[in-house]
Amino acid sequence: MSNRIFITGFGVITSVGKNASENFDSLIHERSGFGALEILQTAHHHTLPACEIKLQDNELFSLAGIKSGFGFTRATTLGLLAAKEAIQSAGLTDQEIQNSGLISATSAGGIRELERYYSELKDLNQHGVFEEFVDTGNPGEHTERMAEYLNIKKYIGTISTACSSSANAIMLGAQLIKNKIVDRVICGGAEALSKFTINGFNALMILDTQHCRPFDATRKGLNLGEGAAYVVLESEETAIRAGRKPFAELLGYANANDAFHQTASSPDGMGAYQAMYGAIKSGGINPNQIDYINAHGTATENNDLSEGLAMQKLFDGRVPAFSSTKSYTGHTLAAAGSVEAAYCLMSMKHGFIFPNLNFKIPMEELSIQPEVTLQKGKNLKYVLSNSFGFGGNTSSLLFGAV
Amino acid sequence: MKKIRRYYVNGSGIISPQRTFDDQQFLETVQEYNTNVLTCITPDFKTYINPIQLRRLSRMLRIGLSAATICMRNANTPKIDGVIVGTGYGFLVDTAKFLEEVLGQDEKHVAPTHFMQSTYNALAGLVALSIKCMGYNNTHVNRGFAFETALHDAMMQLNENDALNFLIGTFDESDTIQYVINSRAKHYKKEFISNLNLFESTTEGTIQGEGSAFFSFSATPTETTRCSLVDLRMLFKPESEDELNASITELLSANDFLIDDIDVIISGESGDVVHDKLINAVCQKLNAIPKVRFKHLSGEFCTASSFAFWLGISILKNQKIPESVKSNAKDAPSSIRRILILNQYMGRNYTMMLLENYS
Repeated sequence: MSNRIFITGFGVITSVGKNASENFDSLIHERSGFGALEILQTAHHHTLPACEIKLQDNELFSLAGIKSGFGFTRATTLGLLAAKEAIQSAGLTDQEIQNSGLISATSAGGIRELERYYSELKDLNQHGVFEEFVDTGNPGEHTERMAEYLNIKKYIGTISTACSSSANAIMLGAQLIKNKIVDRVICGGAEALSKFTINGFNALMILDTQHCRPFDATRKGLNLGEGAAYVVLESEETAIRAGRKPFAELLGYANANDAFHQTASSPDGMGAYQAMYGAIKSGGINPNQIDYINAHGTATENNDLSEGLAMQKLFDGRVPAFSSTKSYTGHTLAAAGSVEAAYCLMSMKHGFIFPNLNFKIPMEELSIQPEVTLQKGKNLKYVLSNSFGFGGNTSSLLFGAV
Repeated sequence: MKKIRRYYVNGSGIISPQRTFDDQQFLETVQEYNTNVLTCITPDFKTYINPIQLRRLSRMLRIGLSAATICMRNANTPKIDGVIVGTGYGFLVDTAKFLEEVLGQDEKHVAPTHFMQSTYNALAGLVALSIKCMGYNNTHVNRGFAFETALHDAMMQLNENDALNFLIGTFDESDTIQYVINSRAKHYKKEFISNLNLFESTTEGTIQGEGSAFFSFSATPTETTRCSLVDLRMLFKPESEDELNASITELLSANDFLIDDIDVIISGESGDVVHDKLINAVCQKLNAIPKVRFKHLSGEFCTASSFAFWLGISILKNQKIPESVKSNAKDAPSSIRRILILNQYMGRNYTMMLLENYS
């Protein structure tokens, strides 16, 4: 029996598009979602621009076909929109959805709603519509709600490893299939912007008030973003039996820990190196076969340096083409791994490498530079996607063409 | 594919509302609480954490890192290949502190400390950092499945590479904010009760608990192996007693066991008249088996089943059931071989874990 994991569907919503085709269009036309915050009510809406999805919650509800007043948070709704698109792109039947597992990732979950109704919720004398958000501070809440809506019971899990969360959700999904717990898993992550995260990252002084510049010498920090993306993973047998043509194979993956600092990456990028090396090794290929890397590339001073050094070390002077698509979407935190997995699938399907926006001046410490113009007609056989996070978490996914 | 594999538990460390951090006693004297909130009985943290590190850590990070350290000393393992942690609500106290700072100061002059310490993966990261473990690292946060999905993650990792040694842990924290807000969802009792009378209660809601437990986990036994985990199952919102029964039967039969092979049941009743219905009905039918309860000692929280897991491995190791947890008149057999843990969280997350003696 084969142990191969196929990706037979994906869906994505970000500030550059509410579905896969809108995202693709923005990526090839170099349109970013960066701008003033208009939907989230925050004191920072002009001072800390971000990559926000310019749709009110009720507009998202109607897009997702759900009614307001049932406690769906913005993160859950974004998650449902992307998961439904993934299901549709794979063409799953109701029965197939029911027999699937659901692994979702988030870093803030429904904290946006908790902070909005915090004083009302705390005062037990007050009653009102806000009571539908009573437990949205729980990170697993969004997954269980999505599972109930989609009618999935077979396996439910939630991962939260900061910015590498949804890459780990995809890995866990693959493990469930390899261990024959389920034949099919819908996995990814969802993240909505909140005052909690904006102020947290602002306090850490790693937000750029300008549009972020991944891998550029003048980079000052990241832009936050929101979004969700899910992939449908299936065992080879299941995909073939259903007659589905996979977008790609999830050929390898690795999860490691930098074990250097609670919130910073090690200067030599040891954790990043381990994750990339592990993913390539588990896929049974060599580093020189990698055609493109969708880098973590947050545009913080710390990340881009350590990720860059790790790439140079691993690829030994022959670093493949790479770019950070966070210059379009901002850093969607727990959703970043699955958003970028979706972008890798688009790259492979169309033979495109999406350019890294805002790169002008190379970093002194590095001898490599990201792709800055749209590359077309590429035969992308092996693509690597990096996701690193607080707590030293580093993960890499390796996609192979089928 | 036939499973013949066992997953060995080689040590544990647990800090809970009872004195469990050392081997002084095995739940012989128990702590009473009268406020519906149970908080950890903590050791002198300096025994486990160096003073420079200690100053920078929140209470829960201290508890978690101490539990992990106790576990590693207990298991006598020099080598840890990966750290996997489960938590339901994460660092609630820091989350609330940061949120109140942001909201109370109108988003001005906010310090990053509570934000950094509120990240769900902060404990798994801290443990890895403390022991310089660059291997697999994950944090599971699915409510009443958080501990079980963490265990399951490790089981699957071990299926792939049986030379590895994992540290699996949990933490959840009693906190006023969650207590107040979730009272709206009837999570907690309206009237104050003594935790020791939890199972006499006939009302809705439970009592709030907390704790952190760590287990050393491998695919091959070591000199300190206590017992093994045979297998586990998770069931989301079962609609009937039959559905829950079917899941138990499937867990047993998939591992070539019958219900007669179970010597003790650890039941996750929470003293909530509504949420305990299914589990009570199932246990009623299995009344010939000695039954043990624990949530009067741990309180209820998303990862309370890790207290049950510790209780199970301790019963197997000591071959003795403490009086304080017995709940029916059935005596355990002279040799306790297998324990079934049956847990529920808020009537939503049902989990089953099967432990086996190792000798």
